[in-house]
Amino acid sequence: MSPTEKHTTHFGYEEVPVDEKASRVADVFHSVAARYDVMNDLMSMGIHRLWKRLTIERSGVRPGHQVLDIAGGTGDLTLKFSRMVGPRGRVVLADINASMLGVGRDKLMDNGVGSNVEYVQANAECLPFPDNSFDCITIAFGLRNVTDQDAALRSMQRVLKPGGRLLILEFSKPENPLLSKAYDEYSFRLLPRMGQMVAGDAESYRYLAESIRMHPDQDTLKAMMEAAGLDRVEYTNLTGGIVALHRGIKL
Amino acid sequence: MLVTPALLLAGCERMLNTLLARDPASPQRLDAMAGSRLLIRFEQPRLALLMAFHPSGVDLLRGEDIDETSADAVVELSPETLSEWVSGSSVERLMFEGRLSVRGRIQLLEATQALFTDLDIDWEGELANWLGDIPAHSLAEGLRRAGRWGLRASNELMADVSEYVFEEAKLLPGRQQRDVLRDHLSELEISTDRLEARLNRLHRRLTQRLSQGDSGS
Repeated sequence: MSPTEKHTTHFGYEEVPVDEKASRVADVFHSVAARYDVMNDLMSMGIHRLWKRLTIERSGVRPGHQVLDIAGGTGDLTLKFSRMVGPRGRVVLADINASMLGVGRDKLMDNGVGSNVEYVQANAECLPFPDNSFDCITIAFGLRNVTDQDAALRSMQRVLKPGGRLLILEFSKPENPLLSKAYDEYSFRLLPRMGQMVAGDAESYRYLAESIRMHPDQDTLKAMMEAAGLDRVEYTNLTGGIVALHRGIKL
Repeated sequence: MLVTPALLLAGCERMLNTLLARDPASPQRLDAMAGSRLLIRFEQPRLALLMAFHPSGVDLLRGEDIDETSADAVVELSPETLSEWVSGSSVERLMFEGRLSVRGRIQLLEATQALFTDLDIDWEGELANWLGDIPAHSLAEGLRRAGRWGLRASNELMADVSEYVFEEAKLLPGRQQRDVLRDHLSELEISTDRLEARLNRLHRRLTQRLSQGDSGS
């Protein structure tokens, strides 16, 4: 049964009306935008930079390519992509949240990124781009916040060029039960406290931990990507499966 | 397993970009190379590394998945050849010796070599970021003075030691004495040669005379 049929969806461990999830997610990110990068570094102990690096290596982006970075947040991936595509290429940084997009734009401008990056406030479920327009689409730590993930995957498949790659970097299920236990302790006890101390907002970080647990595991997401029309879908577990990188190709 | 090489590459990339940022000549060179991609394949161990140049530095990516046609130049080499190349050996020489195989734009290889071998780091500028302009300049000036003093002191020490060894204690022969000795030895060699020739001639004449005396009697 899809979330639309039952008229509620999950927001962390809470059940909320479908119409409400986007605005409640937006509130979370409005609240954390300013300290998003610091918190990411602190929460993942800097490893998120390596996860993103691997995503870039797997993207196969080269000069002249058109790249869409959905839920690009503060622009970590966009910064690298803009250098890789060069002046002939184009990178679109899309985020549903205006605060995050603002922080991302400021950060990119401070890093000297200019003419080949565009900023678009867009909902991943109905991307405002023509069919077959991007060589590569990435969504890093964004899919779990989307209300209708199947619609978002279909929308991404639509705007991807034939032969283009979709890369999804997202929290997943650790394979080792011991690691899983340690990870639960860390994210439900330590994470909200760190959120309280650094960003003054424990609730938002509790939501982050809960939304990670509610997100589909590696194989479910793989099946969802295949159902959306992507081929040769494969995933790589990173850091014992805490994060998984899924890659699908539109044929 | 996946994360360790990524961590190493990230560290190398950061170090290279920090060094390039401190070299006043790099921005001009990087501007000329921006957008170029150099794929380096190592024979042993089998590794591929993609260097993607951009105006503010270089991105290092693992190149196993990368299509060769997307790189401007592809180099295949062994780690020994790499160390020779990085230490400044000419690309042509390595190619003619068959130790370097290149496809694509060879100029990119030369530009890369020039970028990394001609690094002239502005250490004083880096110190100024940490300490401020005036303390950094005083410190750098002090270090330069110490360097100059060290050079002068070592030269003077060498001169003093050689003077003592050659002139005062005469423990070893100096260059001049060695030259004189060589001249004497050459003269002696010539004289002995001459003497030997003379002896040979006398011996010959004696033998002739003896043989004539025998035939006369």
